[in-house]
Amino acid sequence: MNTLKRFRSFFRVLTRRREFEEGMTEELRFHIEQYTDDLVRSGMSPEKAVRLARRELGSSINIKADCRQAFGVHLFDELRRQLSYAARLLRKSPGFTATALLTIAVCFGANLTIFAVIDSVLLRPLPFPEPGRLVTVFNTYPKAGVERDGSSLTNYYERRGHIPAFTSLAIYRYGTEIIGEPGSTERQQTMRVSPDFFSTLGLGPAIGRTFTDEETTSETDHVAILSDAFWRQRYNADPNLIGKRIRVNSVPRTVIGVLPPIFRFLSSDARVYLPLASRPEDRAPSRRHSGGNVIQMIARLQPDATLAQAQSEIDAQNAALEVDDPQAKMIADAGFRSVVISLHADHVAAIRPTLLLLQAGAMALLLIGAVNLINLLLVRASGRVKELAVRQALGASRGYVVSEVVVETTLLTLVGGLLGLAIGSGGIHLLRLLGADRLPLGSRIAFDARLASVALVAAIIMGIVFAVPIAGFNLRRHLGNALQSESRSGTSGRAAQILRHTFVVSQIALAFILLAGAGLLSLSLQRAMAVSPGFQSDHILTGQILLPWASYPDRTARLTFVESLTDKIGRMPGVLSAGAVNNVPFSGHSGKSAATVMGHVLRPGESPRGHYSYGVAGDYFRAMGFSLRAGRFLTAADSHRSERVCVVDEDFARYYWPNASALGQRLWEGSEAGKDAEAFTVVGVVGRTKQAGLTEEGAQGAVYYPYIFRTDDSFFVAVRTILPPESLELTLQNVVRKVDPDIPVSDLRPMETRIADSLVARRSPALLAGLFSGIALLLTAIGTYGVLSYAVAQRRREIGLRMALGAQPGHIRGQFLYLSLRLLAGGVLLGVIGAWLTGQAMRAVLFHVPAFHLAVLTGALCVMVLVSLAAGLLPSHRAARISPMDALAEE
Amino acid sequence: MGKNAELLPGTLDMLILKAVSLKPLHGYGILLRIRQISGDALEIPQGSLYPALYRLEHHDLIAAEWGQSENNRRAKYYTLTAAGRRRLRDETAGWNRLASAIAAALSTTSEEV
Repeated sequence: MNTLKRFRSFFRVLTRRREFEEGMTEELRFHIEQYTDDLVRSGMSPEKAVRLARRELGSSINIKADCRQAFGVHLFDELRRQLSYAARLLRKSPGFTATALLTIAVCFGANLTIFAVIDSVLLRPLPFPEPGRLVTVFNTYPKAGVERDGSSLTNYYERRGHIPAFTSLAIYRYGTEIIGEPGSTERQQTMRVSPDFFSTLGLGPAIGRTFTDEETTSETDHVAILSDAFWRQRYNADPNLIGKRIRVNSVPRTVIGVLPPIFRFLSSDARVYLPLASRPEDRAPSRRHSGGNVIQMIARLQPDATLAQAQSEIDAQNAALEVDDPQAKMIADAGFRSVVISLHADHVAAIRPTLLLLQAGAMALLLIGAVNLINLLLVRASGRVKELAVRQALGASRGYVVSEVVVETTLLTLVGGLLGLAIGSGGIHLLRLLGADRLPLGSRIAFDARLASVALVAAIIMGIVFAVPIAGFNLRRHLGNALQSESRSGTSGRAAQILRHTFVVSQIALAFILLAGAGLLSLSLQRAMAVSPGFQSDHILTGQILLPWASYPDRTARLTFVESLTDKIGRMPGVLSAGAVNNVPFSGHSGKSAATVMGHVLRPGESPRGHYSYGVAGDYFRAMGFSLRAGRFLTAADSHRSERVCVVDEDFARYYWPNASALGQRLWEGSEAGKDAEAFTVVGVVGRTKQAGLTEEGAQGAVYYPYIFRTDDSFFVAVRTILPPESLELTLQNVVRKVDPDIPVSDLRPMETRIADSLVARRSPALLAGLFSGIALLLTAIGTYGVLSYAVAQRRREIGLRMALGAQPGHIRGQFLYLSLRLLAGGVLLGVIGAWLTGQAMRAVLFHVPAFHLAVLTGALCVMVLVSLAAGLLPSHRAARISPMDALAEE
Repeated sequence: MGKNAELLPGTLDMLILKAVSLKPLHGYGILLRIRQISGDALEIPQGSLYPALYRLEHHDLIAAEWGQSENNRRAKYYTLTAAGRRRLRDETAGWNRLASAIAAALSTTSEEV
């Protein structure tokens, strides 16, 4: 109960140590003076009185010591004494200290860096009340090749209030809109959300109100909620902004609320929140399976409800609803299910295995470093055996010996940990450069007090762990032996030697595993990079343009804008061809939708498939460098003819017409056959291209329609140029501004940059793993070198004697090289087993690389042999050059 | 000195608490007060007074504050804390029980056995 208070008083004394001491002196002096006065008053002579007063009180030094002890201060004094002793010892051996500190700093820094990412991405809860109750629900049609299709508006309206396991349910979609008055518009990230979005999260506007159900139609949705950052930056934190109007896509909307500063939904950087408006027909049962991965659903579980409960309720409702769905058979064939999963876990699911692997790698590094350090410390301890024996003989208690070791190792790990903090903060910067802030929740990665305190605790724990073997070693010495033995060799125990060798073997094994893991990752990166995207990706500039429905309300107006823009771009100097599409490959968002092929009857067990579907305008295929397999590309004229035509890719053609030509075949957009006049005739077949990423597997097929049939909120321009693509960025923006000054271009990047960026989740881990294994090799080399050098130094006399008796230097050298090879063999043997296990664990992140890859292992083995030999050569060589005269004369 | 009773172990703390419970006192004052309230029967070894005071203060049974002495000198005055008051009450009760038990035991005559 009083512990805290006592601790505080103790702490106060520590910080005001001088005051404590002065107070004590003054109090004792006062006592003596008072007593003297009293004695004088009773008739004693002053000199005699002072003497008596002093004598009766006793030695003030002893009293003070007792007082300090009574107050618990003596422990602190003891600690300080041991600290300064440890510091002095460490200063006396700068080589050891520097090696130890550097080892701790590097290993610690690597772990902190990765832990910072793990902490902010995986561990730290989402910034909402009771975040563990937040879940997401999405539709999946695995047999149709659509793993994830979001949720539909219909899902939302059918589920709302009907799933007892949820207290509330909401939907949202990400978007970008043009915000601001004409002339000063900017493109901003936005979110369209259902009215219950904020109440589901449990965090609503700091000022103002949330959306209402009445505001979910396109006639009534003229309201907006701003993020705190946007409110501050753009509106100067105007407290009277509520009720005022801002323009979103040139439509005025009333600001009804401002969110609190901490509000941040997952990784979204949305500045403006708008109601997710829809028409009654969008909510009809026929639209139930038209999610298209655009709209996402979140829900909050009842306090006592489980995921499984929510899942079974959703399943039951789905089953009940599908009973009178005309497409029920097709949907069931597609393997339809709605998955309920934790919001946080789902958001970080893709990156989780990579992060955990990297943390495991960093831990392995720390282990190698720790082993090195313990070895070094043990060597040092054996050098101090005699000193310790003398001190123990003179009465140093076991507790004292142990605490001295703990203080020394903890001092090392604390200072090393501080340096590690610096390296860690540098490491976090490095990760930023590698694109860590693009990870899910990556913008939360920061070097903060939480991380620093974790580091502090870890450093102290590490110090104590290091102390255990050293203290054990120090205490186990037999006093008599140590005092009698004349040479250092007399102090070497067989057990200590085995321990040191085991350490080196485990070090080699760990380094081997790291090396093999890094090899697998980089091989997998290499294989991913070698995949062809399916088009000529060089010399293409791409950018996204958001076209507001308010200014371009119908499809013709939108087509006119797109065509006049691609036309103007196509005539820019240096441009070979220019085109537009809903979504370029590698844009980071790609959705699939259904197409119905005329005459295609689903075979038993076959499910309908989702295909990538695009509207294209201008000279898109030439601009992207697609290859034409048959027929022709779409042209600008196809958007204006009454005859409907389309182009499919070879995957699509092969799937539906394996034995016939695709040309002239007909299909409908969507999952249902329509009127004959609405069917599209295939006029061309193009090569398959990678859409979502180079490592994308499966041949989903793609359909390209003339742009007029698939206009969207936004489109991408693709420009093929003979110039470096970056050099066109400014001119492209100017051309867009000339067509419509209120429309900005965003996400302007050369195609090759997009492809490179899409590999960031492979490149960065491979780089980090490579870095880790490099450090691991260095540490292992130091470890092997250290142990062999020590062995040589210890057996100096024996070697000298043997050489005096005729042993050849080559023989001696061979003996130590043989030792290092034995250690290597043991380490590699364990390492191969470990590498196999690691490979199994890494399967999820490997691309076209088997978990057990012989060439990688052989490579790792060669590197290990080289490193071990290099580390073993120098000490062996030194052993061979020992002069028998000198070695024996040292006695 | 012969009339002075030997101080039993553990009783010093109790006496200090009692002394400062009457009025805030400095260390020397506590010494005098114990001597006075025990009718000059108890003599505190001066060397053990201060460690005892520091221990009690560390355990939050008494609180210390610097003030002015009767002859206008700076002195450290001790007062009883709430926890100290509780402790004093408990120890007094415990002591009384023990004392009466021992007294009863010692006054037993052979007939009563």
